[in-house]
Amino acid sequence: MNSSRLKIIVPQFIDIIALIGWGSLLFKYWITGQLNLLIHPNYFFLVLITSIALFILGIVKLWTLLKQWQKKINLDSNDNRSHITILPKHFGSGLLVITALLGLFIAPQPLSSQIALQRGISESLPLTRVQTQSFGTTVKPEEKSLIEWVRTLNAYPEPDAYTGQPVKVTGFVVQLPQLPDNYLLISRFILTCCAVDAYPVGLPVKLSGSRSQYPNDTWLEITGEMTTESLPVEVGKSTTRRQLVIKAKSVKSIPTPVDPYGY
Amino acid sequence: MSQLQNAFTLFLSLLVEAMPFLLLGVILSSILLIFVDERRLVALMPRNAVLGAFVGGCIGFLFPVCECGNVPVARRLLVQGMPNAVAVSFLLAAPTINPIVIWSTWVAFRDQPEIVFYRVIFSLFIATVIGIIFSIQKDPRPLLQTSLAKSLNWQPETPEKESIPLLLQSGSFLIGNSGKTLRLDESFAATAVLPAVQAIPMKRRWLTFLENVVMELRELGGVLILGSAIAAGLQVFVPREFVLNLGQDPITSILAMMLLAVIVSICSTVDSFFALSFASSFTSSSLLAFLVFGPMIDLKGIGLMLSIFKPRMLIYLFALAAQMTFLLTLAHSYLF
Repeated sequence: MNSSRLKIIVPQFIDIIALIGWGSLLFKYWITGQLNLLIHPNYFFLVLITSIALFILGIVKLWTLLKQWQKKINLDSNDNRSHITILPKHFGSGLLVITALLGLFIAPQPLSSQIALQRGISESLPLTRVQTQSFGTTVKPEEKSLIEWVRTLNAYPEPDAYTGQPVKVTGFVVQLPQLPDNYLLISRFILTCCAVDAYPVGLPVKLSGSRSQYPNDTWLEITGEMTTESLPVEVGKSTTRRQLVIKAKSVKSIPTPVDPYGY
Repeated sequence: MSQLQNAFTLFLSLLVEAMPFLLLGVILSSILLIFVDERRLVALMPRNAVLGAFVGGCIGFLFPVCECGNVPVARRLLVQGMPNAVAVSFLLAAPTINPIVIWSTWVAFRDQPEIVFYRVIFSLFIATVIGIIFSIQKDPRPLLQTSLAKSLNWQPETPEKESIPLLLQSGSFLIGNSGKTLRLDESFAATAVLPAVQAIPMKRRWLTFLENVVMELRELGGVLILGSAIAAGLQVFVPREFVLNLGQDPITSILAMMLLAVIVSICSTVDSFFALSFASSFTSSSLLAFLVFGPMIDLKGIGLMLSIFKPRMLIYLFALAAQMTFLLTLAHSYLF
């Protein structure tokens, strides 16, 4: 096998590896459920189709390459009209291969509390959810998830309306510096299309002890009761805001869930 | 370290979200290559600058993919001799003027349907005007990347030459099979060697299709990766309050949303939901600016368009689109 033929084959081979690599990466995300950490479920099917399409493309290309190799045909494409490049030749497939390998070996993680703090945790929903116009009492308070509580609060913000109701929610810990030591924020991210637009929402939790036993990003299940309190809004300022707070009766550590985001 | 991990997750999420649309666009563009006689499509386009620019914006309706998808298509059309006005306005308007984007904008802004209306109108208007501006430059080759320009066969329409009978013109000529005389010059080689697409046997067409899909995926995939890496990095390492603090003033909110649109580089098929998440803190004119400017110019799109145009052309496109978006949305905030 002389080197000039190798020079033609190797880049085409990298193309094939790029295609199959990305097909496998997308498929791996779909199969392991890690897709939950990256994009909205509406697009899961699309990603599956894409991974299958990429696989098919890679295999067909491999097959044509082998056939041309066998027939010892000139392997460089005759069709010159489509070869327009801006990146150095085959740089693109190199990038695709590297990213696919990185993706295969480095598992995506749920977004951390640092991102939540950076984006500013809110008690109201992003307006991507359709606003509920009225409420039936079909869902029992203790069965509401954190996001459902935020949605409820968004429709009717008066905290006194919920005082006394039982609560059982899960979320991750965010320690807000402006809150006293026995308060922490229990939060979740809401996704609209992918992790890039993740929007953090959360509610304050009043603990019986210090919050230092629950570091940032710990996942907790909080059982308790709703109450109304006035809490400071910003560090260093004395203004407080009357808001809904969960008075925790029991706090349990849970493993990081497979689908940590809400929609 | 966790910030780096966050950035990597964001980077991957952008790629995973965009990949299906990129593949769809590349496949559509390659189907265009083998099934449509582009020379006929190009011949159908109106030569008049104004009409051409407007039609170019509208044919985006036939290509329901976001900007990752319509760049390969625009590139194909340009190589086949599409007039400048049509190609440029197609490139700018197609990411917005298509059924999927209009539908998703409507779903997101159901309470404010005027946003959908203004998005379409503003995008079409800006694209048409910029298309008209670039129609003044008849020869597309100075605008394009040199390698693309070389493979482009462009004949200037010179009415003066037609009045001189072929027999009296100087140069070398070939008499073809059909009896038609062809002038032998640099661009001759490109046209003469390319057979009409219909003449190629089916099997060879599918091979061309495959080659083209892989080539375009390689090119555009590489560029998508670079753009997403920059977008994810900026998202994590630039504090967002810095951009968001500008939200309420009519002028700074528009500028801030335009800047966010460029940085975030989100696909136009889904950007309405992203914009909606800022609806509580930003004026609706600034959201409109995000929705109109983002699909035209963003980090990811700039990377993709560099495969077609020279950097100077992109700077002009950016400046024109930015100014027009700013003026239109500012007018919107004061008048409506």
